[in-house]
Amino acid sequence: MGVDKTDEELMLAYAEGDVVAFEILYRRHRGLLYRFLLRSLRHRADADELFQETWSRLVAARERYRPDAKFTTWLLQIAHNLAIDSFRRQRPQASPEETEAVLRDLNAPESEQPDRALSEFEQRRRLQLALEELPEEQRVAFLLRVEGGLGLDEIGAITGAGRETVKSRLRYALARIRARFSS
Amino acid sequence: MTTSRDRDLDRLLEDDGGELGMLYRRLPHAEPPRRLDRAVLGNAARAVRGQAPRRHRWVMAFGSVAGVVLAAGIAWHVGQDALREQSRHEGTLSAPVVVPVEPITTSRRRHADAVQSVEASAPAPMRAEPEPVAKDAQAKKAEQPAFARPAPVHEKPAVRLPPTPPPSAPAPAPSAFPPTPMQQMNAAPAAPAAAMTAAEPTATPPAQAADSLEKAAPARMRGGGAPAPSNSIELRRDTQLTADDWLAHIQQMLRQGRRQQAVESLRRFHNAHPQSLLPADLQALLE
Repeated sequence: MGVDKTDEELMLAYAEGDVVAFEILYRRHRGLLYRFLLRSLRHRADADELFQETWSRLVAARERYRPDAKFTTWLLQIAHNLAIDSFRRQRPQASPEETEAVLRDLNAPESEQPDRALSEFEQRRRLQLALEELPEEQRVAFLLRVEGGLGLDEIGAITGAGRETVKSRLRYALARIRARFSS
Repeated sequence: MTTSRDRDLDRLLEDDGGELGMLYRRLPHAEPPRRLDRAVLGNAARAVRGQAPRRHRWVMAFGSVAGVVLAAGIAWHVGQDALREQSRHEGTLSAPVVVPVEPITTSRRRHADAVQSVEASAPAPMRAEPEPVAKDAQAKKAEQPAFARPAPVHEKPAVRLPPTPPPSAPAPAPSAFPPTPMQQMNAAPAAPAAAMTAAEPTATPPAQAADSLEKAAPARMRGGGAPAPSNSIELRRDTQLTADDWLAHIQQMLRQGRRQQAVESLRRFHNAHPQSLLPADLQALLE
């Protein structure tokens, strides 16, 4: 069947009317997209709405699809754009002062940080809380890295930021997560 | 400090995502609910349902164009056939206008006699391809010597005379009755010939002329054994009339003295409407 085909081949096949190709593609990426949206938006209802909307946009743009970029990058870019719109509608961005305040608390040496002593359940809970508290840009960059498995350049392409900016956002994200673990 | 953050970043950018990456993967694997699956897949299927695949669209377009061309070709061909048929039909219809004026048996016999006399002196040429009917009829008429053409003779409808041998010396016979319009029309092409023969000193005495008139009339009637085309047309027209109109037309023909045609038409009427009751006079005529 089409299970051996790449994402890009499946997408092209769907653009020519092959519904089965779309189903395979959907099964491959539904979880990734859903988790990315769920952890970016934090509210399940919003995630559901944007999940459906992302696929709708993809379906509508199927004939314009060109396999220049990875399919995953294209999919996550659509989702990211929708998420950004949602962020703008829902709540203000975290202020730079707020971010700096968190970083000041992260200066303790790694050996003194108690996260290693926490149980795995507690670690996962704290990671979830830390993700929820991250500013959107940092959270999106972190999620694109750990959930989507994207590199710096791909994250930059999706978010419209330069490579160094992406690195900076990831550093801040890591610092905040560490802070949550040590608190 | 900066170093530890860079180290965290480097580890995060490793293939496995480092320590945090692994921890992230141990988080609950949230999945979209089934209703979302159904909605998305349904939407995707609907989107392409009305859309034929691109290569099929090309084939369909080509097929449509080919169909139109084929239909146009067939229509043109049928039109040409209809025109050809119409012109052929007109050709066959134009013939009866010329043919009926000739008493076929006598004229042919005379023509054959004339040809025989010519053939006796010269070998016959190879027969040419048969020409269309109208041309053939006209050519025969043109070939026919003027003396062979019968003068306009009024039909004696009610009299059936026994067949007589063809007259040895045809002569223009003065008509005892004024010619009908149909006869005038039929006789028109023969008029110059009649004038020529009238100008020539005739050796036929008046008594012989009268005799030839009597002989010419049955010859014409024998020709009527195969009804003349103009009569045939009229008879065919009768068959398209309603029963009442048909009977009225038969009676009209009787009143006009066209008994032969009336009888023929009446026979056809009886064949077409065997159950119809006939007026007494027509019944008698039929019997």
